[in-house]
Amino acid sequence: MAKTTKKATAANAAPESKGDAPEPTAEDAPPKYEPKYNWMNKTRQWGVRIRPGKAGLRLGDLNAGIYGEVPMHWQDESRNPRGAVPRRGMPPVGYAIRDKAGLWADCAADLYEEAIQRRWAPATDVPWDSIEPLPDDVEHAVCQLCTEITQYANVDIETITGWQHRMSYGYHEVKQFLATASFDAARHYECFRKRALVNGGGLGLEGPGQVNRMILESRGGWTEAVVYLLLLRGVFTMTLYKYLERYAHNDAERFIYGHALADKARHVSYGLEHLRFAIAHLEDQRQVVATLLAIGDVGLARDLRDPVLKEALAIVFGGGVAGARRTGMAVFNDLMRDFLDTHFALCHWLDVPRNPAALPPPLSEYVAAEAA
Amino acid sequence: MPSQANASARFPSVRWFDEVRRVFNGDERYRGAGGGQCNCLAAMKIGDEVFVLTFEGVECSRAVAADEAALDDVDFYLDMAPVDWREMVANIKANGGADLHHTLNTLDLGREEGLATSHHGDQYREDLFFRYNQTLQFFFDASARIKTEFA
Repeated sequence: MAKTTKKATAANAAPESKGDAPEPTAEDAPPKYEPKYNWMNKTRQWGVRIRPGKAGLRLGDLNAGIYGEVPMHWQDESRNPRGAVPRRGMPPVGYAIRDKAGLWADCAADLYEEAIQRRWAPATDVPWDSIEPLPDDVEHAVCQLCTEITQYANVDIETITGWQHRMSYGYHEVKQFLATASFDAARHYECFRKRALVNGGGLGLEGPGQVNRMILESRGGWTEAVVYLLLLRGVFTMTLYKYLERYAHNDAERFIYGHALADKARHVSYGLEHLRFAIAHLEDQRQVVATLLAIGDVGLARDLRDPVLKEALAIVFGGGVAGARRTGMAVFNDLMRDFLDTHFALCHWLDVPRNPAALPPPLSEYVAAEAA
Repeated sequence: MPSQANASARFPSVRWFDEVRRVFNGDERYRGAGGGQCNCLAAMKIGDEVFVLTFEGVECSRAVAADEAALDDVDFYLDMAPVDWREMVANIKANGGADLHHTLNTLDLGREEGLATSHHGDQYREDLFFRYNQTLQFFFDASARIKTEFA
């Protein structure tokens, strides 16, 4: 340290007297650093000029030339953006997902743009003033549903963010889309909590959470998580939103359910496209998805044996406890049939074998009711 | 300021859809709060009549009359009997927007085969109905601000 203190720098050296000669300025001093700018020719493709279209300059529009090359395996283990020149000697970050088949969906860039452009703000966009006091039983039911849906949103956030950092940057479109999906989930968490606390009620009972645990503990890869998070839970939640929008009590609820439905439909769209891609590119993936769903049926069936969600929905659909037993339960049964119809149609589209007759109760009851 | 209709248009007709497009495209309120960019080809099947709407960016850029064959090419189409379409449009006019029993989502749930469907069976394209549901609702709600005559 003593050496450096004795060695004065140009900046802090005391001025020396040189008679009448002008004192040297910093510009006269020889440069300590001579820039070479040789990084300027480090590019894999230069002269790119993407033009915005009618919908603006979209993420997917940038996939031109080498910037649009999305390989089936991403060799680079650093945070190198796709298309940039890698720096030698960079230590690996340790991304677990470096195969395109493990996360890709062709629609990811478009869905990212859609999520950004169709965003909404619960604080100011929801017409909260339209909410008026509801009968106690109905308010209890609405708050219980909000409690359950808030948990779903929490699982969405934890699951997506838990996998996102394990995905390599070669597939940035998916990482970016999933960032919007976790933000969507945060928005759902926010607005359903607000709905529960805005009209004299409060949060209710925690759900049984078998499916939540199954989603969170998916260890076989992101594709497995997608099966549970989107093809099973996602489609179920979409169906819930459709029915809740139909039975909304005011414009605020209608707005919330309608907009949450659009967000969830976007997530499910990604899930479907990803599963289709994975099934097309990975041997046996189709059967793996079928096996996962058979396991998932058991978890969902266990959740549905808990009466809380069913009863709360029946109260909302029936307009109160009095109407819950007949009208409300009939609508709940419709909801379950719609859910299973949609779920099986999507599995059929994915060419994933499913056997409705093998569903565990109470899921099997809705299939049987339909057949009858 | 939202556009207002000057002349009446018969439902269903290209002119009616053009009038709704004019109102919808001219009102920036439809672009925020979960509305916004919408890119799809959607058909409206009203009995035997078919109208194809092109949504591009934040606008509905085109409405054309078509035949049943056009349904093969659209992302999805909304299929209702003329009397049900008429009830929906009249409800929107009476309430300044669809009431809770006449939203596109409610009408979809209330039908055995759903309101939105397709010939191709591509689930990704069919799901555009739900992803853009709010924009489509905004579009039909804009019809409250035109003068409608029923055939």
